[in-house]
Amino acid sequence: MCNTYIPISMKIERIINEDPDKTLRTYDLSFVNKEDEIKFKYMPGQFCEFSILGKGESPFGIASSPTEEGIIKFTISRTGSVTQEIHYLQEGDIVGIRGPLGNWYPDEKLRGNDTVIIGGGFAFTTLRSMIVYMLDHRDEYGKITVIYGARSPEFFIFKDELKEWEAREDITLHLTIDKPYPGWDKLIGFVPAVTKEVGLDPSAYVLVCGPPIMIKYTLPVLSEIGFEDSKIFTSLERRMKCGIGKCGRCGIGSKYICIDGPVFSLQELKKIPESF
Amino acid sequence: MIKIKHEQLPALIDFLSEKYQVYAPVQYGKETAFKKISSASEINKSKYNTSLNPKEIFFPQSEVMFTYDKEGIKTPLPKDKPIAVWGLKTCDTKSIRILDEVFSNAYQMPEKEMYKDPYWIARYKNCLLFSSACNEPLSTCFCNWFDSGPFDKTGSDVYVIDTGNEYIMEGISDSGKAFLENYKAVEQVTPEDQTKIDELKKKAKSYMQPPVELAGLKDKLQDIWDDPIWDEVSAKCINCGACAYICPTCHCFDVSDEGKEDKGKRVRLWDCCMFQLFTKEASGHNPRELSRNRVRQRVMHKYNYFVENYHEFLCTGCGRCVQVCPVNLDIRRVIQKILDYDKAK
Amino acid sequence: MKELQNKVKQLLNDKEIDLVIGWSKGSLPLVSTPVFITEAEQSDQLIFDHTCRNNLATYLTKDRKRLGKEYNKIGIVVKGCDARSIVLYVTENQVKRDKVVIIGVPCQGIFESRKIIDATGGREVLEQKIDGDQVILKGRGFEIKVSRDKVLRDCCLSCRYPDAPEYDYFIGEHRGEIDVKDEFKLVDDFEKKSSAERWQFITEEYSKCIRCYACRNVCPSCYCNYCFVDNNDPQWVGKTPEVTDNIIFHLIRNLHLAGRCVDCGACVSACPVNIDLRPLNKKVEKEMKERFGYTAGLDINEKPAMASHRENEKQDFIMG
Repeated sequence: MCNTYIPISMKIERIINEDPDKTLRTYDLSFVNKEDEIKFKYMPGQFCEFSILGKGESPFGIASSPTEEGIIKFTISRTGSVTQEIHYLQEGDIVGIRGPLGNWYPDEKLRGNDTVIIGGGFAFTTLRSMIVYMLDHRDEYGKITVIYGARSPEFFIFKDELKEWEAREDITLHLTIDKPYPGWDKLIGFVPAVTKEVGLDPSAYVLVCGPPIMIKYTLPVLSEIGFEDSKIFTSLERRMKCGIGKCGRCGIGSKYICIDGPVFSLQELKKIPESF
Repeated sequence: MIKIKHEQLPALIDFLSEKYQVYAPVQYGKETAFKKISSASEINKSKYNTSLNPKEIFFPQSEVMFTYDKEGIKTPLPKDKPIAVWGLKTCDTKSIRILDEVFSNAYQMPEKEMYKDPYWIARYKNCLLFSSACNEPLSTCFCNWFDSGPFDKTGSDVYVIDTGNEYIMEGISDSGKAFLENYKAVEQVTPEDQTKIDELKKKAKSYMQPPVELAGLKDKLQDIWDDPIWDEVSAKCINCGACAYICPTCHCFDVSDEGKEDKGKRVRLWDCCMFQLFTKEASGHNPRELSRNRVRQRVMHKYNYFVENYHEFLCTGCGRCVQVCPVNLDIRRVIQKILDYDKAK
Repeated sequence: MKELQNKVKQLLNDKEIDLVIGWSKGSLPLVSTPVFITEAEQSDQLIFDHTCRNNLATYLTKDRKRLGKEYNKIGIVVKGCDARSIVLYVTENQVKRDKVVIIGVPCQGIFESRKIIDATGGREVLEQKIDGDQVILKGRGFEIKVSRDKVLRDCCLSCRYPDAPEYDYFIGEHRGEIDVKDEFKLVDDFEKKSSAERWQFITEEYSKCIRCYACRNVCPSCYCNYCFVDNNDPQWVGKTPEVTDNIIFHLIRNLHLAGRCVDCGACVSACPVNIDLRPLNKKVEKEMKERFGYTAGLDINEKPAMASHRENEKQDFIMG
């Protein structure tokens, strides 16, 4: 019988340092067993529990899109004991993942409609997944607008993809940094301010992911512009253990982030007392 | 309904032991707990409920989820005989059924295989629960608040009433009925037995305080989520966690790896939402830093959140938390306080 | 009790303190419950008798440390052992002496619920009443009288310091220091056992431990934000309730309590599986007394034993 507690073996194919501090790394993983790859069906927005046997597990949003075959991508920040251990890993090492877990961005609703994607810092992982997925099915979606803010230019993740997307005509990219930086000729300002200024159409859907403080100040701006609560989606995080709604750790209100989330609409969040 | 004399219990236990692993209340140091028995002589004769709860039969305090070494991962799913439990009181039978809903059917989505807990299922499959009527409820018992009572048959496979010298048994579920059909060393029940049962029932009911109406509790809790009443309620709690470990329905757990990269195991252990570190994240942020928020979480989970997902309270009124709490934080008083609380004041 | 209530009423009315932590009647006949009083009229709830088992000093640290910011001066009603905990906090710089108003009460010992259940043969007690040096226990269909000493906590029976050694007010008659003979009898009996018998005792007791950490969490001296058990890098002790891990946990906890345990009995009462925790505790206490002449929580000006060095300390373990 299916045992969701057992990790699937994965091999590290590639490691990219995303920032100059070397606290952020992107890992491309491939499946050791082909049957696992065939069974692993996911959608943008879902997450996995990344297992280092002997050390523990941490949950991370999947940064790759299901259209990118054979590779599962994660961007991991060195914060605690498990992520520290992950940062010691080398290309070729074997790790475990459990997943895909959780729900996903409301793809059916986004089809045929305009979407605004707002991200901050290294919370851009699942947003990358969604963007690549949408671009690989470009005709099925309306306008795609992306607002992505980082501390300074070196702290953007997925720099290669960002360059590619900037060059495309069918996606609008607004990159912004916090303070002026030599050589930066694009937007300067915090994400909430930029969201206000770039001129958004309030009939679109919004996916917003970032540090809690960015979300706290961006949501009122979105309401001001006129976006409906039921059309704004965000991804929540909490400490997790089992990933399947049993251990009680990631509960907020009557919801479990690992089953009912991590993607929630603002309309749902307003009903959950503990969300902010 | 059939009955057996007290002296015939050893024969019943022996009969059960052929097909099942039998658990029953036993003396455990100065406490009583549900442990494996091989003969009826080990059964503790106290008429009160056990001090330690029976969830450890199906959901042990520590469970190895898998071991790993150079050859890979091995999952030691328990493969023993199915489990039979003798001497469960009605509140404990109910709590085992509630836990089954959580572990076998998260959110009642039986089609989602990935949400089923294989360790629970391996132990729980084909179990036989002998649920005893409670002749002598304690002053801390409040099962009658939850549409139940000391003589409630809900959840039993075989329902047992101890008349003092005999056990009267009734098959309630299909597996219970099937068992009784197979067990022939019984006597028939007489009309006097029915009178005895009625008397015992009346007596047990008289020992209990009248129930408190809980119909409005879930909504009231929703309403007062952010109110200062929680400061009052939580003031004396010292977050020791004894209540969660003694509670038959609490099921939060921790997952921990022990070992090195080349050999070790992953275990799950009971945990408690009252501990300060329960929700602490690697970044240092703790959404439930204050004790007040953790006490609120416990009460909300049991009497509101769980009700929303599973349509029943995560509490069966067994009263063990009332007995064990070092600061006498009586959950019955908390509930009463919440129901009486007037927001306007 | 009236004296206590009046004193607290007066202190609150005079605004000498703005919060009082004391005991009030519990919802069960054998226990009391802590109460937090901010208004003078509420002081009628205060009681002091044999059910007042909680060490209220614990509310000055851990999660409640913020009480120190919310209130200017906190009054605490204390038995001897509780006051020793407060003295311990002051010597360890956890609490400022002028922040607390210590109200001592004369303690005659506290009930041990499990001993009472033994006395009634397992029957539930619904009412209790003190009658001189006897206790009347009533339940469904029975009423018995037992000698009070039979149902008091073990730590109370060997208590040397029933009075608060440091206080601002004392309600009632002082009992003075009690000259206890064989206060370490528990330890001496244990040391008489052979190695094999000791190991059997320890493994039997500590295999019952379910690692609920109630002992640690109720202990007034255990106020670390991160306990050594919570550490996973390195993982000092396994988290599963295997007997070896259990023993290590309890041993290390006891060593961390060297010179700090006031034998208030909170851990023994809180343990849901009734482990006999006192032998190890008492052994460490005995060592501290014999080696360093130190007993926790008596002198507010003394530095903590394990955090200071005196020149006249024995050094035979170095010099041979």
